[in-house]
Amino acid sequence: MAPPRGEVLQGTLDLIVLQTLHAMGPLHGYGIAQRVQQVSEDLLKLNQGTLYPALLRLEQRGWITSKWGASENNRKAKFYSLTRTGRKQLLAETRSWERMTALMARLLGGTEGA
Amino acid sequence: MELLRIFGARLRALFRKRQLDHELEAELRAHLESLTDENIRRGMDPKEAAHAARREFGGVEQTKRLYRDQRGLPFLETLVQDARYALRMLRKSPSFAAVAVLTLALGIGANTAVFSIVNGVLLHPLPFANADRLVVVGESEDDRKPSTTSFATYEDWKTRSKSFEDLTLYRQWQPTLMAPDEPEQLIGLRVANNYFRTLGIRIAAGRDFAPGDDQPATRFVVILSHALWQRRFKSDPAIVGKPINLSGVTFTVVGVLPVNYESLIATDLRASGVEIWGALGYDAALRDACRTCRHLRGIGRLRPGVTVTQAAAELSAITYQLWKEHPTEFSSGRAIVMPVYEELLGGVSRTLYILLGAVGFVLLIACANLANLLLARATHREREMAMRAALGAGRARIIRQVLVENCSLAMAGGLVGLLLAYWMPEILSLVRAMNLPRLDQVRLDWHVLGFAFAIALLTGILSGVVPAIRMTKMNLQTALQQGARGSSLGGGGMRSFLIVSEIALSLTLLLGAGLLLRSLVRLVNVPSGFEPAHLLTLRVSPVGAWYAKDEPVRDYITRANERIRTIPGVLASGTSSQIPFGGNFDTTGLHIDGKMNANPALDPSAERYVISEGYLEAMGIRLLRGRDFTRRDAQTAEQVMLVNETAAREIWAGADPIGQHVHVGDPKSAPRTVVGIVDDVHHYTLDAAPTMQFYIPVLQTDTSDLVFAVRCAGEPSQIANTVHRAMRSVDETLPVYRVTPMSEYVAATTANRRLALILLGSFAAIALLLSVVGIYGVTEYTVAQRTREIGIRMALGAQSQEVLRLMLRQGLMLSSAGVALGTVFSFTMMGFLRSLVFGVAVTDPLTFLCAAAILTAAALLACWVPSRKVMSVDPIIALRHE
Repeated sequence: MAPPRGEVLQGTLDLIVLQTLHAMGPLHGYGIAQRVQQVSEDLLKLNQGTLYPALLRLEQRGWITSKWGASENNRKAKFYSLTRTGRKQLLAETRSWERMTALMARLLGGTEGA
Repeated sequence: MELLRIFGARLRALFRKRQLDHELEAELRAHLESLTDENIRRGMDPKEAAHAARREFGGVEQTKRLYRDQRGLPFLETLVQDARYALRMLRKSPSFAAVAVLTLALGIGANTAVFSIVNGVLLHPLPFANADRLVVVGESEDDRKPSTTSFATYEDWKTRSKSFEDLTLYRQWQPTLMAPDEPEQLIGLRVANNYFRTLGIRIAAGRDFAPGDDQPATRFVVILSHALWQRRFKSDPAIVGKPINLSGVTFTVVGVLPVNYESLIATDLRASGVEIWGALGYDAALRDACRTCRHLRGIGRLRPGVTVTQAAAELSAITYQLWKEHPTEFSSGRAIVMPVYEELLGGVSRTLYILLGAVGFVLLIACANLANLLLARATHREREMAMRAALGAGRARIIRQVLVENCSLAMAGGLVGLLLAYWMPEILSLVRAMNLPRLDQVRLDWHVLGFAFAIALLTGILSGVVPAIRMTKMNLQTALQQGARGSSLGGGGMRSFLIVSEIALSLTLLLGAGLLLRSLVRLVNVPSGFEPAHLLTLRVSPVGAWYAKDEPVRDYITRANERIRTIPGVLASGTSSQIPFGGNFDTTGLHIDGKMNANPALDPSAERYVISEGYLEAMGIRLLRGRDFTRRDAQTAEQVMLVNETAAREIWAGADPIGQHVHVGDPKSAPRTVVGIVDDVHHYTLDAAPTMQFYIPVLQTDTSDLVFAVRCAGEPSQIANTVHRAMRSVDETLPVYRVTPMSEYVAATTANRRLALILLGSFAAIALLLSVVGIYGVTEYTVAQRTREIGIRMALGAQSQEVLRLMLRQGLMLSSAGVALGTVFSFTMMGFLRSLVFGVAVTDPLTFLCAAAILTAAALLACWVPSRKVMSVDPIIALRHE
């Protein structure tokens, strides 16, 4: 399904979620949403609901797992954590992302210089 | 791999829907509550905080829907929904469902049944390793089929050719198992030691033949089939190494074949079911190993990468060379290489594929019929569909709904149809005496199940697609307004087209069945040259040391015939070395004084019968001129023979053969005098012209095969036991077997044609039935639709007879159009039947007229029955009719 306009691209959202879980350890959906907004300093306007289908997608692929637990304020919440394949996937995607940004930087840098 | 994991996760989710929904609910609620808490902390009042939380979160229901789509298999879920709905709809109209399911069951069942035969006989791989590299090799007279060869030629082929990984040989063998309680004639083969290795068969117990077994002195070893081992040796686990007595000679069992070995290769298709294999044990010095002793059949395994054409070219060149080296021992010097598959199954594959094509027509007719029913129903469901469309169902969604409904019907029909395939082995065993090889392989397996499923699906879609599209083409407003008023769909043209196609296909099937029926009648009425009714045949093997000489055999024949003739009800009795349709062939060269070729191989050869006096009378073979044999035609008397009419005509061409001298077999042998001419008999098949034949008295030659022919006043089966006992009383050590009425041998020659007729006949009957149902349905529908119109007509003074005529005219038009279309279609199809048709042209006008007449009559009847209703229409009621 194509993402609604003004929101993050699907692949990017996946990468962000994986990176967040990598940095923060096991986290519930609310926590992930807060963290994403915090880090992006509200640059990314994330419709928090879209996070859940994304989490399910990552889980179906075996990149993350989920477990019910208690949140900080003692609410029942589902905690997501990175799996081994998820870690590998994150590494691979980070690399390809870096290559892409490097390429874009070179291309765009060239334009600026002209 | 990953896709599979995702699919698995989604599939699993389907079964835990409720719990997962519950969890999602809890998770989202927790999220919203946390957001609200956060907002309160920032200083909002609770109500405002909750609002803001929802805003930040986005649509909760939307999230849930996206989540569910991601979680399960939405396509499958709606499919199940549709199917459920479909079943509910069908339950509401059980008569429609019953007719539809029955129609489909007939179509799918017939197709599945035929496919199960094709699957077992043709598609099931041959039971040999790399069967595609196995070929039959042989010398050839006609360049079409490989024939027999000789040991000397085989040896030359083997040393000179490079195309074959292995070449092997086999010959016919019918040893008698000498058991004290019940001696039995077995069907066997004598095979070269590499036979099973060439075929790629492993021996289950014991060992394979070894080169050491394959010598004249050491050849007395045998391998048993699993069935024979069970049947006659009580599955003796220590059978290997044990001696058994075959025709008075001791053989050693060296091995038993695996249970799944299919005994396909035999010297003759009718003699399939080989149960025992002995070593060939030839060497070049043997009398039977001579180059003109062509009684062996060859099988080769091609080297990888060598094509049949290459191998054939090489073998032909070698054989041509051999002819140059031994000019008097070949007539043509040609050889043929043919894939084993073609040799074993080529003959039946054409018939089976014709039947598969024909049964495909039945399926098309069933499809057309169902489509017709659906179109009729579509008009009733117009409102429902309009309602759905008005409520927002997309066009694709409605089409899918209809197709799912239809496929559910087809699946139900397929299930009923599968029963037929399930019972196919039993049905086939009921239609006995068939010559199809591998019928034991016909069973309900995964291929058949898959086929049934696939054609059920295909049928569902094929028959549903037109009505489905039509249903979505309606105008919403008028449909909702018109409601029960009748139809805005029309569809009359489409329905007529379907009916016309049905009739056309039915005509083709009827015509095919008719042609086969006429062929069979023609064939059965072909004069066979003898009288098969009231004729019993029995075989005897004169085995044992006592019968090694000719005199005791002749003595046995004379005494047994005398004993049989004393039985009340026996009219005549005689003995021959072979009987027509018996599956034997024994041709011998005839060298006529004054007409001999320089190369004796080019002299005519004819079917040889060694007979006792009384045989011609018992068989009912007419003596045309001259005299029959008597007891006085003994060893010391003048050597005599009889020839049949064909031989007389072809050899002597108008001159009188009686009194002429003929050297039989060896051109240097003492000549025989022709003393009479007898009628031709058909020896192999009824549909080919009789071959040249001659008879010599058993008192003047030797034979090891004996068939007794006994003509009786009543049914042969009634005196079978008495005759059997009488023969055993002459010598109880001799096995008497194949006690069979002659009529069964004759019936076996037409068995495949009868199978084709039975199947094609059933298809035609089903087609006719379906067409009648189709026409009935259309007419009934038209009557219902036009009741109002008819009421007006009658109110205006039309006679009910006239109205009836109006309805019948519609039926007549449909059937005429169908017959016309079917005629054109049939003429293009009937060419395929040519190989099955005998004695009638495939464009036979009588058959055609009958088929057209039957079809038209049935169509008019199907039209007349529902039309009669209009006769009783009361105009007042009709006018009110909606």
